[in-house]
Amino acid sequence: MRCTYACGSESHLSRRSFLEGAATGALSLAGFAGMTQVRAAEELASKQKQVVVFDLHGGVSQLETWDPKPNTDNGGPFEAIPTSVPGVYISELLPHSAKIMHHLALVRGVNTKEDDHGKGSYIMHTGHRQTPGFEYPYLGPAFSTLLTPAGSPLPGYIKVASGGNPREASFLGPRHAPVAIAGDKPPANLGLPDGVDAESDKRRREMRAKIGQRFVQGRRQAMTEAYNSSFDQAAALIARKDIFDFNTIPDAEQERYGKHDFGKHTLMARKLLENGITFVQVQHSNYDTHSENFNFHIEQLGEFDRTFATFVTDLADRGMLKHTLIIVLSEFGRTPKINHLQGRDHWSKAWSVAVGGCGIKGGAVVGKTNENGTAVIDREVNGGHLFHTYYRAVGLDPTKAFYHEGRPFHKADPATGPITEILA
Amino acid sequence: MLTNSRMGTLARPSVATDTTGALASGADRTGKIAHPTRRDGIFWIVAATLCWSAAASAADPLHVQIDKLIAAQTPDFDKLAAPIAGDEEFLRRITLDLTGMIPNVRQAREFLADTVVDKRVKLIDRLLASPEHARHMQREFDVMLMRRLPATHVPVAEWDKFLRDSFAQNKPWDQLVREILAADGSDPAQRGPARFYLARNGDLHEITRDVGKLFLGTNLECAQCHDHPQVEEWKQEHYYGLAAFFVRSFVHTDKDKKVTLAEKAEGEVSFESVFEIRDKKSKGPKTSGLKLFSAATISEPKFAAPPEAYTVAPNDKDKAVRPVPKFSRRAKFAEFIASVENRRFCRSTANRLWSMMMGRGIVHPLEMDHALNPPSHPLLLALLTEELAAREMNVRDFLRELALTQTYQRSSQRLAAVPNQPEPAESTFAVAPLKPLTPAQFAWAMLVATDELDLQRRAQGDKFSEDTFLAGTEQRFVQLFGGEPGRPPDSFASTADQVLFLANDPLVLNLLKPRGDNLAERLLKLPADNPVAVAEDLFLSTLTRRPTLDEVKDVTSYLSGKAGDPRSQAVQELIWAAISSSEFRFNH
Repeated sequence: MRCTYACGSESHLSRRSFLEGAATGALSLAGFAGMTQVRAAEELASKQKQVVVFDLHGGVSQLETWDPKPNTDNGGPFEAIPTSVPGVYISELLPHSAKIMHHLALVRGVNTKEDDHGKGSYIMHTGHRQTPGFEYPYLGPAFSTLLTPAGSPLPGYIKVASGGNPREASFLGPRHAPVAIAGDKPPANLGLPDGVDAESDKRRREMRAKIGQRFVQGRRQAMTEAYNSSFDQAAALIARKDIFDFNTIPDAEQERYGKHDFGKHTLMARKLLENGITFVQVQHSNYDTHSENFNFHIEQLGEFDRTFATFVTDLADRGMLKHTLIIVLSEFGRTPKINHLQGRDHWSKAWSVAVGGCGIKGGAVVGKTNENGTAVIDREVNGGHLFHTYYRAVGLDPTKAFYHEGRPFHKADPATGPITEILA
Repeated sequence: MLTNSRMGTLARPSVATDTTGALASGADRTGKIAHPTRRDGIFWIVAATLCWSAAASAADPLHVQIDKLIAAQTPDFDKLAAPIAGDEEFLRRITLDLTGMIPNVRQAREFLADTVVDKRVKLIDRLLASPEHARHMQREFDVMLMRRLPATHVPVAEWDKFLRDSFAQNKPWDQLVREILAADGSDPAQRGPARFYLARNGDLHEITRDVGKLFLGTNLECAQCHDHPQVEEWKQEHYYGLAAFFVRSFVHTDKDKKVTLAEKAEGEVSFESVFEIRDKKSKGPKTSGLKLFSAATISEPKFAAPPEAYTVAPNDKDKAVRPVPKFSRRAKFAEFIASVENRRFCRSTANRLWSMMMGRGIVHPLEMDHALNPPSHPLLLALLTEELAAREMNVRDFLRELALTQTYQRSSQRLAAVPNQPEPAESTFAVAPLKPLTPAQFAWAMLVATDELDLQRRAQGDKFSEDTFLAGTEQRFVQLFGGEPGRPPDSFASTADQVLFLANDPLVLNLLKPRGDNLAERLLKLPADNPVAVAEDLFLSTLTRRPTLDEVKDVTSYLSGKAGDPRSQAVQELIWAAISSSEFRFNH
């Protein structure tokens, strides 16, 4: 009797269908690249769910953002202001975000119980606590695998200006590892080198194909097809390299987003999403404010707020919000108690995450912390709940595990469930 | 070696696929204890008997017996099987498999022109004895054993040196593994092998998992938290029987900041099934002694009082004192596991070495050796297990036998396939597989094909060090092409960024530029009216074969009418087309 592990599992199928897609040779230069850009974008818009993550690196303060506690011991100097959603108040450091609150939902009862940067980040990006022997794929590679249309020549997961570690993809493989772009610059090697023009590039590829055609006669072809199809993908990517060209963005647009790095990166994220990239992550650094918490948050959120609100508004105006999930996360929040350096330290016991767009009920607020913000008193959630929610929001079933070498890798902790209160 | 005195005489052979109790006592059904120290002699006896019935004779050399068993397993094997590969295909494959490189153009010409009958045997022997073989084995086993873990506590160079020296002297595999498993880093001469534990930070579960996978052919990861849900014979207690060997070990830092793996004389594993906890059926945590699967628990010396259990007792007030127990569970593990007496170890090693050469395990995947996933060729695996043990785990000798088989030397190309006849399954080993080049092989192959290696060697003279020269190049390939290490080739994936690198990156394109009598320079020096010579050199240098007539025509028309810079450009394009072709990307 043959062992049946992994058979019929999703990860197994997706790998196979990827290879089959390649084997039929359906993808060629006449495929994606042949479409006009607008049509391609429309096609994508009609079907493809997309995700953008804003990673407020270092640990953003929930008290200076989504869950203010003004006039309490721990509240700090800032007021809470009303938002576009009656009865919902956020920190006065986010005046622009307040105006688009009807597009967002707030999860105020996050307790991840992990105050270490690396481990906290792992929970937020994989939905799981680090477990020896289980290299969970990150959210980016997972959604790249599950949401990217078969045969798309574009990378499924792009990280803007924060580096990319191939290990994020774990067993999902290099096809879904993050492609890192340095802010407003394209990925490496998209341009033809000196001395090779389009014509000679075509000529050398044809010669390459001839050698390959003779080679495959009588040989097994699954792997050679996969190899050849990646050449088609690369050619298609080169044909669409304009999507990485920051110079095509009018100056007025750059003004609206702010002419700082985060503004540029967010604008690049919009451009990538418009061009059909499945999963884009932008980082804003650094919120690790052990001292001078309030001054740093004025400065950091001053950048974040307007740029982020402009971005969400643009997505709404362009009809992209209905198929784009927005997640604003960090690795944890910050201590309610203010330390002697006017700082706040790491605090994972009671903090907030904001989400919006695809599948999310705009204006919803779930979870509650106590009066001085030290503990969750209603609807406590952790990374598992958040992952169930992200998957449901984009129409995927988080209870179907990935399978790798016969072992299930849960997309979201089965001991938890989705935060239905904020799902549309 | 097989001898008649060890042949069993079963009247009716039956197949014993004993995988759980590979260490169970070898009660020979003939009533004759063939080899009392070999605990699962039954394996061998049954196998040998069936070998006999399959017309493979113990008088045959091992490689002949292998071929007979491969053929006997698949009906109509001769009709399905690909022919023996020609010299070109064989030369490229064996050089890649044994040295991690492709042959250069001179080696190719020499071998193809050689008319000696046993030139393949001579080549195999020469390659196995070469320093490049030791280096290749070092790289392969480094990736397999260390999964490209970052350097922690031990510099990677010391580990690499240990591996390379070991393979260069053809250290028996059990000895090599014993040295790794016994090294705790306290002996300055054994810092290299201590990387195995120290880079894993002495982590109990990481070590338990990895020794199971690497040395026993069992992926027990699932059994850390509960009995394996799919593999009935893998129990949680098996996982903890292994873990018990390591539960007392920990990473220790002494007063000179020297980091070693130390061990206490107390501490037991404790486990409870998460399913039973969930279903409220658990009777509380259990423990396990030193135990390999269902074999008997290994006894440990008893000490009256805690201080007596130590040669150097731990000091609660001074943690810098490194405790040394009188009985080391970890040392016991090294001696117990890495031994020819442990047939599970021999079997997983035989399967692994087979897979390195043949592209797929007889048990496949390699770490899934259990009853529900039987070997494709049970008798063959039994034979290989016994032979490897009988040859005292002589890796080079074993690889030699595999390389000599027709199975290994078959073409990856089926000629005149019978219409409507399905392609034989990979598990039949009837056709040689395509094996994607590892990142290191890919890097080396490019440097050899373009003659960059020789060029640097000539330019730098005595100062030339292949390792230094390669470090940068190989690293780029590993970063880009190194998916998950140690995985079989069915995980092959190719991505656009890899192709962009091949197509447009200066590192690759610089190899193509004519200079210092490298490939491009040499091709350009050939007379313009002799494109046949250009095609011949180009194909031999890159693909280790002569071009077909069509290819000569292609090259001729590619270069036709071109002189000066355009000709130089065209030559570089031709080289690129060859090294980026699928024929180059795979070991076929």
